[in-house]
Amino acid sequence: MSTADFIKKIKSGEIDIVEHTEKIIEDCREINKEYNYFNTISEELALEQAKAIKNQIKNKDKKIKSKKLLGVAISVKDAICVRNIETTAGSRILKGYRPLFDAFVIQRVKEEGGIIIGKTSQDEFGFGAFSVNTFNVPKNPFDRERTCGGSSGGAAGLSQKLSSHIALGESTGGSIVTPSSFCGVYGLCPTYGRVSRNGLIDFGNSLDKIGPIGKAMEDVALLMYVIAGHDENDSTSLNAKSESYESFIKKPIKGMKIGIIKEAFGAGVEKEVEKNVCNGIEELEEEGAKTEEISLELPIKYGIPTYYMIATSEASTNLAKYCGMRYGAVEKLEGSFNEYFTKVRSRYLGEEAKRRIIIGTFARMAGYRDAFYLKAAKVRTLMINEYKKMFRKFDALVSPTAPMLPPKFSEIEKLTPLQHYLADVMTVSPNVAGLPHLNVPVGFEKNLPVGMLLIADHLQEGKLIQLGSAMEKGK
Amino acid sequence: MKTFTSDIVIGLEIHCELNTKTKLFCSCPTHGNEEPNTRTCPVCLGHPGSKPVLNKKAVEFALKLCIALNCEISPELIFSRKSYFYPDMAKNYQITQYEIPLGKKGKLRLGNGKEIGITRVHMEEDPASLVHPAGMKESAYVLVDYNRSGNPLVEIVTEPELTSPDEARDFMKQLIGVLNYLEIFDINEGIIKADANISIKESCYKRVEIKNITGFKEIEKALLYEVKRQKEVVKIEQETRSWDSERGITFSLRKKETEEDYGYIIDTDLVVTEIEGKWIKEIKKHMPELSQDKVKKFVHKCKIKKEDAEILASDRQLAEMFERVSKEINPLLAAKWLRRELVRVLNYNKKELHEIELNEKHMIDLLKLVENKKITDSVSAKILEKLVEKVFDVKEYVKKEKLEAVSDIEELEKYCREAIQENPKAVEDYKKGEAKALNFIVGAVMKKTKGKATPKEVNEIILRLMK
Repeated sequence: MSTADFIKKIKSGEIDIVEHTEKIIEDCREINKEYNYFNTISEELALEQAKAIKNQIKNKDKKIKSKKLLGVAISVKDAICVRNIETTAGSRILKGYRPLFDAFVIQRVKEEGGIIIGKTSQDEFGFGAFSVNTFNVPKNPFDRERTCGGSSGGAAGLSQKLSSHIALGESTGGSIVTPSSFCGVYGLCPTYGRVSRNGLIDFGNSLDKIGPIGKAMEDVALLMYVIAGHDENDSTSLNAKSESYESFIKKPIKGMKIGIIKEAFGAGVEKEVEKNVCNGIEELEEEGAKTEEISLELPIKYGIPTYYMIATSEASTNLAKYCGMRYGAVEKLEGSFNEYFTKVRSRYLGEEAKRRIIIGTFARMAGYRDAFYLKAAKVRTLMINEYKKMFRKFDALVSPTAPMLPPKFSEIEKLTPLQHYLADVMTVSPNVAGLPHLNVPVGFEKNLPVGMLLIADHLQEGKLIQLGSAMEKGK
Repeated sequence: MKTFTSDIVIGLEIHCELNTKTKLFCSCPTHGNEEPNTRTCPVCLGHPGSKPVLNKKAVEFALKLCIALNCEISPELIFSRKSYFYPDMAKNYQITQYEIPLGKKGKLRLGNGKEIGITRVHMEEDPASLVHPAGMKESAYVLVDYNRSGNPLVEIVTEPELTSPDEARDFMKQLIGVLNYLEIFDINEGIIKADANISIKESCYKRVEIKNITGFKEIEKALLYEVKRQKEVVKIEQETRSWDSERGITFSLRKKETEEDYGYIIDTDLVVTEIEGKWIKEIKKHMPELSQDKVKKFVHKCKIKKEDAEILASDRQLAEMFERVSKEINPLLAAKWLRRELVRVLNYNKKELHEIELNEKHMIDLLKLVENKKITDSVSAKILEKLVEKVFDVKEYVKKEKLEAVSDIEELEKYCREAIQENPKAVEDYKKGEAKALNFIVGAVMKKTKGKATPKEVNEIILRLMK
C-alpha cells in the first residue's frame, strides 16, 4: 500500500490509527531485537499522538484534511532533538539527556500528523561510515553480519525492514546516502540550508543536513516537502519556501543531461558495484536521459582531506560543551574543574570521537590553521566552482554511492582509521559543496544491495526525485 | 622590541556590556529577574541542537560606538569561536570576533587633549557568572548563574599609548562618557571591565597584564599599585595578575611564556552579516549629539569659554543639565556654577552627577536666586553642598532659614557702623595704610549678617563711612 493510500484510509477511519500505531511499535520491538535500529522507542509519545489524531478524526476536525503525514510512522536519527525523549546522538556522554525543545523538523512532522516512533541508532555524533562507533550497532537488513553503513545506519536499516514508515536521517559527509545504499533504500541529502538544523546536535555546522530516507521515492519526496523551508531560528536556513516535491514523481526525464564522473569508476571500486551502477545508467538512458562522461578531478582527489579538516575542526569545538556539567553523563564531583571535565570526557566519549577531537584541535591550532583549516576552506571554494561549472551543462552527475558492497563487521574491525575514512570517497565532495544528492538502489549482488549516487545543483532536489522516480518505475 | 619614550606604558582592553533588551544570540532578556538561572534558554545554556541567531540591535549599538570612536568599519561582520574550557562557558567556546573586528584604527581624545589610538572594537558574548559562596579563595565549590550568559559585549582595545595611571583613568572616563552619550550602556547597572597591560622602564618594559578591573575609579588604583610594585620588585616577569579591589592589591594568576592558543575558527552557525553603507548612514542620522558637537554649540551659542564648555560636555548628564539651566539662567552664570561649583562639590563627595538626585529644577531655583541677588554666592555654595547630599525645595529652604541677602542699605549701614565701632584697631591700621585691615572689618560685617550680604557692597559702605 502506498503512503498516499494509507493516509486516505487513516482519514476515513478504515485503519484505526491507535491500533495501527500499537502494531507498528510492536513491529519495531521485534525488529529491534535482532537489528538494533533503535536507541529509544518512543511508545508513549507515539500513542499519545495517535490518540489525539483519533479524537480529531472522531470529532470530524477539519484540520486533519490537509495533514500531509497523518498517521505515518516517522523514525528520527538520534542526533535530532525530540522534546522529552532521550536524545544521545549515539554517544554515552549524552545518556539520559532529554531535550527541552523539538527540532524544527520534528515540529513540522508533528504539525503534519506524523507519528514519532523513536530514535534510531547511529555512529557517535555521526563519526563513521559503518555505524560501528557507538553503543548500539545496527545490523544490515540483508545480512546481520554486515554493516548498515553510517552514520544514519539505524534509519536506513529500519526503512528497509519496516513498511509504512519514513525515516529522518542526517548527513555531514555521506551519512544519508551511504547507509541508504547498503540497505537498498532511497536517501535524499538536501542542499545545505534547505532544511533547518535547529535542534540537530552538531557535528560540523557548515556541513550538517537533515534529510529523508524511505523505501519508496514518493515517501522521500513527501517527507522532504514537510521538512524543507525557512526557519528563523537557524541563521543558515535558506530563505526559500518548500516545494511540492511530489510533483516530480513520475515526471518524464527525457532530454535530461547526466554527467558520469569518470574518476569515480575503475580502480578502488568493487567490480560488482560498478556493474550495477552501469546498469542504472543504462536505465536512465532508456528513459531518455542523455549521458556523457566527464572529469571531476578536484572533488575526488581532495574531497577526503578537505572534508576531514573542516569537519573535525568544527566537531572539536562542538564537542567541547560535553563536560558533565549541564546535562548527560556525570561523575562524582571532585578535583578541579579541569580534572572533572577530563574524567567525564575520557570516560564517556568514544575512541573515534576522541580521535576527531584531537585531529580537529590540531588543525586549528596557531601555526597549523593556515596549513590545514584555512587551506581546506579555500579548496572547498574551488570544489564548489568546479561543480558549478558542470551544472551549467548537466542536470545531474552520477557515481557509485559507495565503492564497495556492505562489508562484514569482522572486515571493518581490520580497517585502519584512514581506510575507514576512504569509504566516504564518493560522498564527501557533494557534502563539502553543500549539493543535494540522492541514493538510488540499482540492483543486488550476492544478495546485497548496490546504490547509485545522483548529485544535482543547489536547490535542485526536484530533479533528483524526478530521476530517482524514473528508475523506480520499472521495479 | 618596540621602543617606548615614556617611563610607563599602558594599553587597555575594555569589555563593556551593551544595554540591549535581549541577549546577543537569543531572545532572553539581558536584565530583569535576578533569581539565578531564570533568564535562560537552550541557546544561552549551550544545549545540544540549539542555534544562535544574531541580535541586530546589538550590532547597531556596536556600530554607533565604532562611529563615535572614528573607527574604520568592516564591510562584513564575522563571528569566530574562541575555544577554552572554563565553568562559566556554556559551550566551552565563546562566540567572539577574531581576524576581522567590526571596527579598527579609531581614536579617543583624553581630557588633556591627547589622542589615544583604538586598535580594534569587536563584539562578543558574555560568559555566565560564577558565584563563590564563601569568597573567591575559600569556597570549596562555585555556583554558575547563566542569567548573564550571552549578554552582548563590546571589547575595545587601545594602542599602548597611555603613559600614566591617571591617563588610564581618564581614558575610561572619556569612554564611559561616549557610551553614555550614545545610550548604548546602562551607566547605573551596566558592567564595564578592563584588563590593563602595563610595563615600566625599570623592568625594561616587561609586560604584565592586570585582569578584572571594574570601573574607572578602580583602574587608577590598580595601576598605581602595580607601578609601585614593579618599581620595588627586583625581577619582573611576564605574567597575568588579577586586581583584588577589596584588598587593593594585584596578585599573580599565571606566568606564561607564550600566548594561550584558542584555536579560533569561524562560527558557521552564524552567517556573515553585511554592514552596508546604507545601514551606517541610517545609524549616523539617528546618532545623538556627541560631546565635541556640544562644545562647539556651547561656545558659539552660549558664548562660554571653550575650556568650560569642554568640562560641561565631558559628562552627558552635566551637559544636558547645562542646556536646560541655560535656557532660564544667563549661560555665563549657569556655566560658572555648573562647571566650577557643582563639579567641585561632586568631586569633594566622590560622586557622579548620575548618582545623585539633584536635577535641573533645583539648579534653576538656586541660580534664579543668585541671578536676582536674592542670595549671595557664599550662601548659594553652601546650599549646593547640601543639595548634593540630599535634595529639598530651595526656595522654601531659603525662606525658612532666613537666608535672603541683606539688601536694605540702612540695615547694612547699621551693621557696618557697629563693626567700625567694635574694631578701632583695625580702623587705625587701615588709616595707616594697611589695606588688609579693611578685609578684617568686612569679615566682621559678614559674620554679623551670616553671609547674607555681598562683600563688594559691604566694602563700599565701610569705605564711605570711614571717610
